[in-house]
Amino acid sequence: MRFLALPAGTAMLLLAGVAALVVGLYLLRPLPRRLVISSGLIWRRVLKERKRKPERLRWWLSLLLALALALSIAAALTRPEIAAVGGHAQEVVVVVDDSATMGARSPDGRTRLERALERAHATIEAGGAGSRFLVADTMRQVSAPRFQEKRAALTTLERIKPGNDGQPRFPDVALPRSAEAGGQALFITDGVAGVEPSREFQTISVFQPVDNVGIVAFDVRPVPGNPRRYEAFVEVLNASSGNKQIELRVAGTGAKAITKTLQLAGRSAANEVLEVSAFDSGPLRATIDSDYDGFAPDDTAFAFLPAKHVVRVGLITRGNQQLQRTLELLPRVQLTMLSPERASAVRGLDAAVFDRYAPPAAPRLPALLIRPPRTNWLPRQVGEVADIGIERWDRAHPLLRHLNLRDITVESAAVLKLNTARSDEERVHVLAVGPRDQPMMLATEAGVRWIELAFALEQSSFPQQTSFPMFLANSIEWLTNESVALSRNLGTVSVPLAHGKVVGLEGREVKAQWGHDATLFEVPQPGFFIVSSGDERLRVAVNLLDPHISALNESPLPPQTQDRERARPSARIAIDPWMLLLLIAVGLLTIEWLTYNRRVTI
Amino acid sequence: MLLTESFLRQLELLTLVPRGRAHGQLKGMHRSRRTGAGMVFADYRPYSEGDDIRNIDWGIYLRMDRLILRLFEEEADLPVYIFLDTSVSMDHGEPPKLDYAKRVASALAYVALLNHDRVNLVTYADGLREMLPTRRGKNQAPQVFNFLERMQAKGRTSLFAALRRYFGAPRTRGMVVLVSDFLDPDGTEAALTVLRRFRHDVVLLHVMSPQERDPQLPEEVVLVDAEEGTSSELEITPALLAAYRETFEKHAGEVEAYCRKYGWGYVRALTEVPFEDLVLKGLREEGLLR
Repeated sequence: MRFLALPAGTAMLLLAGVAALVVGLYLLRPLPRRLVISSGLIWRRVLKERKRKPERLRWWLSLLLALALALSIAAALTRPEIAAVGGHAQEVVVVVDDSATMGARSPDGRTRLERALERAHATIEAGGAGSRFLVADTMRQVSAPRFQEKRAALTTLERIKPGNDGQPRFPDVALPRSAEAGGQALFITDGVAGVEPSREFQTISVFQPVDNVGIVAFDVRPVPGNPRRYEAFVEVLNASSGNKQIELRVAGTGAKAITKTLQLAGRSAANEVLEVSAFDSGPLRATIDSDYDGFAPDDTAFAFLPAKHVVRVGLITRGNQQLQRTLELLPRVQLTMLSPERASAVRGLDAAVFDRYAPPAAPRLPALLIRPPRTNWLPRQVGEVADIGIERWDRAHPLLRHLNLRDITVESAAVLKLNTARSDEERVHVLAVGPRDQPMMLATEAGVRWIELAFALEQSSFPQQTSFPMFLANSIEWLTNESVALSRNLGTVSVPLAHGKVVGLEGREVKAQWGHDATLFEVPQPGFFIVSSGDERLRVAVNLLDPHISALNESPLPPQTQDRERARPSARIAIDPWMLLLLIAVGLLTIEWLTYNRRVTI
Repeated sequence: MLLTESFLRQLELLTLVPRGRAHGQLKGMHRSRRTGAGMVFADYRPYSEGDDIRNIDWGIYLRMDRLILRLFEEEADLPVYIFLDTSVSMDHGEPPKLDYAKRVASALAYVALLNHDRVNLVTYADGLREMLPTRRGKNQAPQVFNFLERMQAKGRTSLFAALRRYFGAPRTRGMVVLVSDFLDPDGTEAALTVLRRFRHDVVLLHVMSPQERDPQLPEEVVLVDAEEGTSSELEITPALLAAYRETFEKHAGEVEAYCRKYGWGYVRALTEVPFEDLVLKGLREEGLLR
């Protein structure tokens, strides 16, 4: 027998102490008052007629009852583990994979997650009295997993839903104390997400092949060389084992729609490029339809078709061929070359790019300033640093989305000193920093927008990076405030807009939460949303678009068998021994009360 | 002082009433079976030589010319034997039963002395303890009172032993007054049978304290028998107390029934009742005093 509340030695000592105390109290019990009466003659006659029980027997009976009562309570305090009653107390760790593929629905109508939760539920229910359970998941829906009692663990299980928010990973959880004590560590998964549990965990498969056809890519881009033409790129994956006939439909905001029927072999993909220039500017919805599909979130995707007009950009430089060529290659950009001397005379531009030059006063049009010289209206330059890189950057900002700046090396950069009060006032954001948090890229939205790079292009490897043209394209879009839709994954969506109001395509407002300069809202299914705050508006296309998720039959685990192993309860009576002991104590107390009142005990 | 002056004056009006004729040898105030000098006419008989000529009925002689002697009931004294139980059991109760019994015995003895009865005082416990030789006349009252007053409770009860020992010697038939709680471990009936054989006129004064009749005891108690020294641990319940009261009443009833069966007097002397009331009312109602 084990004791859960105390070490065995201490528990035995406690029980022995309680027994000794009870016996001692009985032995030291004060004698009844002695009363001298004139004669015992009458009493003797009374007692003879009433046939009294022997006093000693009553004393022993009373002592035994008191001992049983006290030991029951003391034993309950030690929380003993009695296998026949409450089963073995053990520590069980259950990690449930709740990544997106666990939402795949089998032909029997149940999802993989439902089966996983059912198995976890059975495992916890089978745990013996006094067992402790730790429930965790791969999508971090269970915050701060810890060992809990059975009821709390079951409640935690109920909170787990299929998660789309972020990449699944195996949680860092405590392990059961020891396998000898009946500890279990289970990882219940379909294996598709490729989450590797630590070696102490036993992996239980809930994988079952499911037919699925999904959209794994959907984007709208202008045709290079003709910024007024747009094409929608759609990639459809047939993750099923057999052939599928798929109806692909792309629809815009008006009545226009394109429908196409595809024949796809099992485990193959098809890329479709559709001309959408005729569509009105606005959100596009791509949907697929097939005879049976076990996973709905990848059947729909959204994109945004931007306005199709030319942006006039002026490049003020004393000569920078690479920058000029890159700008000219950007779709929709109509470039005008200017020397710094003629910069003030130019009219009719939508945005300007200043290369190693800055006008003496803040320009009246949005501007990208690349390594500008010292000037009063820009952040102060207090020196130069050499041979640095970019350490961190704001991936959520529209300027830097999809960009990787890690490999950029900078030979020389200006050290920018921000006036904190003024920075707040002008809403200057530091978008990228070098070593010791030195600002390398700044942007402001106060009044006319501008962007400042602290280094010159020819003194860095930035122009040679693939992210450079994207940075320029993003900069032009951001400066002209013609941003395309933000692209987000399912789950918790965060957009860089403070106190935003979120409205779906159907005009229904979505409940949102506000963080620091951001609006957050939950999106379980693909959708298109408009987040607005004051005059600012952001469009957000929320899609799954993940071929690893849509390929939800790519699991190394064997399919779950029909006669799946059930967790066996470890005790016939599902009651904690300590509770049973307390019930016994209550019963003994009742017996004691009854026997005392009937003078069976003393 | 056992009795107050005022109470003594009240007692002077009373006399003991035997249930039969007195068998005293001396001149007394009770009717006896003997004829002789007396005031109450009893019978006629022919005159014999030597008879007192003062008792010849001269009227008959003149009418019938025969000497007929008038006989009168002779008034004799009454031997009174007062047995006082001085066992330890009599020392209990509030007031102590012995004190109560002493006062009752004093009152009876005083009344007897006033009426020129021969008073014999006997104290007993597990046998005879002390005896006051026969006293007669009012002037013997102080000795009687002193005798009773100095009596202390001692020993266990054995009425049978005491009576057998006392009446083992020749005693004139008379009135036997037993003042006791009758808590005799050997039983009362055997002792009373001794009295019945001698055909005494018997009156039992059963002294009871309220503590005996209706004891108030704690829930758990060890009861120690004052006479035997034995103890028994009890858990007192209402049912047990009820059983005790019933048994006590049964015991008293048995003693009373025995007395009634043989035409004896039986009076319950409850110590919570003022003993004056017992003497002036209780004993008179029972017919022991008039």
